[in-house]
Amino acid sequence: MPITLENVEFTYMAKTPYERKALQGVSLTVDKGEFVAVIGHTGSGKSTLVQHLNGLLKPSAGKVTIDGLDISGKGEAVKKARHQVGMVFQYPEHQIFAETVFEDIAFGPRNKGMQENEVKQQVQDAMRFVGLDFETFASRSPFQLSGGQMRRVAIAGVIAMDPDYLILDEPSAGLDPRSRDAVFAEIMALYKKRRMAVILVTHSMEEAARYSNRLLVISGGRVILDGSPAEIYQNHKNELLAVSMDVPQLFKLSDELRARGMEIQADTMTAEALEAQIKTAKGLK
Amino acid sequence: MQTIIEVKNLTHVYTDSENKEIKALDGINLEIRQGEFVAVIGANGSGKSTLARHFNALQRPSEGVCLIEGMDTTVEENLWDIRQHVGMVFQNPDNQIVAAIVEEDVAFGPENIGVPTAEIRTRVDAALAAVGMSDYAKHAPHLLSGGQKQRVAIAGVLALEPKCIVLDEPTAMLDPQGRKEIVTTVKKLNREKGITVVYITHYMEEALQADRIIVMGEGKLKMQGTPKEVFSHVRELYALGLEAPLAAKIADDLRQSGLNLQQGIITNEELAESICR
Repeated sequence: MPITLENVEFTYMAKTPYERKALQGVSLTVDKGEFVAVIGHTGSGKSTLVQHLNGLLKPSAGKVTIDGLDISGKGEAVKKARHQVGMVFQYPEHQIFAETVFEDIAFGPRNKGMQENEVKQQVQDAMRFVGLDFETFASRSPFQLSGGQMRRVAIAGVIAMDPDYLILDEPSAGLDPRSRDAVFAEIMALYKKRRMAVILVTHSMEEAARYSNRLLVISGGRVILDGSPAEIYQNHKNELLAVSMDVPQLFKLSDELRARGMEIQADTMTAEALEAQIKTAKGLK
Repeated sequence: MQTIIEVKNLTHVYTDSENKEIKALDGINLEIRQGEFVAVIGANGSGKSTLARHFNALQRPSEGVCLIEGMDTTVEENLWDIRQHVGMVFQNPDNQIVAAIVEEDVAFGPENIGVPTAEIRTRVDAALAAVGMSDYAKHAPHLLSGGQKQRVAIAGVLALEPKCIVLDEPTAMLDPQGRKEIVTTVKKLNREKGITVVYITHYMEEALQADRIIVMGEGKLKMQGTPKEVFSHVRELYALGLEAPLAAKIADDLRQSGLNLQQGIITNEELAESICR
């Protein structure tokens, strides 16, 4: 079952001099098993868009459904549907509030109405998943951990709710390359294991190319491009540049090689694939 | 060229929540010359921000000395002068803006140090022009983009007419367009106005713009040199939790496989040229 948006419009500060249309006629379906990257410059509407996916914002016009249920309404069913969407905000370590790591991660599952023994199991699983040892960390104060560890606690708190849809708003902001890779390794493992839908908001063209299987480009409150990252980066370079986006370094390097007469396949998405083609072209094994 | 920042055997120790002593900086020796553009890279917790915060005496050495234009940062009487010589720009532009109108925000610094009113006007205009924000002088900062806000923050520092600007991950919260704006602005200030720049970043392609890169790891200065020199050490960087630009990494892999490529490749053009020769 999917999340769908039908003709969603959203206006900030309606009927004031600052009135601004943040979303205009957005229709979209995200299915479980998809890994969707959302890119767009600051103010393009991408954060507004993802905040509609779990009902944090309500559309000014149009409709959002989760698994077929319109989430603008009230009642238990709607609440339950919204609990299926986990959201990790930017700088999630700022959302940590509890006295111990255990209590912080347990907040979501308890809120969802799980029994206490089930809650403990969920917390243990989530901590194992993000690489935090239960014995060492469960009773510690989250505020004494390093930035990277705090971010893991925050992600564990969302994972512990067993979401069918996971929204990540720039999960790697402010992390060094190694921590970045570690966070994404966890996200990919989770995605592969649970076949949930992942919706990744990112400023990095590299991350979008490397991890997603579908790319949404947002500009002026509309989805202007929707397709596989390979197709979009390969065929829509000029449109991307026009909305202050870019193509990944790998595509730029491939273009430099093509400009000098080397044949590089259009669907080359990884450094390994590119290296293999260079080696073949240069007669190496 | 004249030395503006000199650090000798600098060690910074703090006590963590479990009363353990942690060496955030461990015996750093470093000289930065007037007019240089120095990038500082390093993993989270490597000590790069702590180092930068010594440059305008936000933090003081536990051992060793930090001299700004020869002035010791541990001497209380020097602080006023040191902070006028070295301005700082931080990660989050929203935390650095104090006024409701752009030009008033930029005027805040000079007002604070008692610059005469007429000169404040001149300084504010010059600072906004230098970061390309003159058209926004009368705007409300909260309606600007991230890159624009960060340029206003830089203008606020410029209005104090510092010799050196230290920027601590100024682009971490910006989109690609905003990042480009900041790097271009900073480079221009360095080249055209001769302002010394210390630029801390997690983005290797930004560090490429510097004259010199300093690599921090575990509180120590692990490596330094031109971008070409530093980024040729692909595997050492990886061990420090960092990555070289894509072209340098692929060049390293290809050399390992026996391809004969020139040394010091860090850009896509250089790599393509060397492969297709």
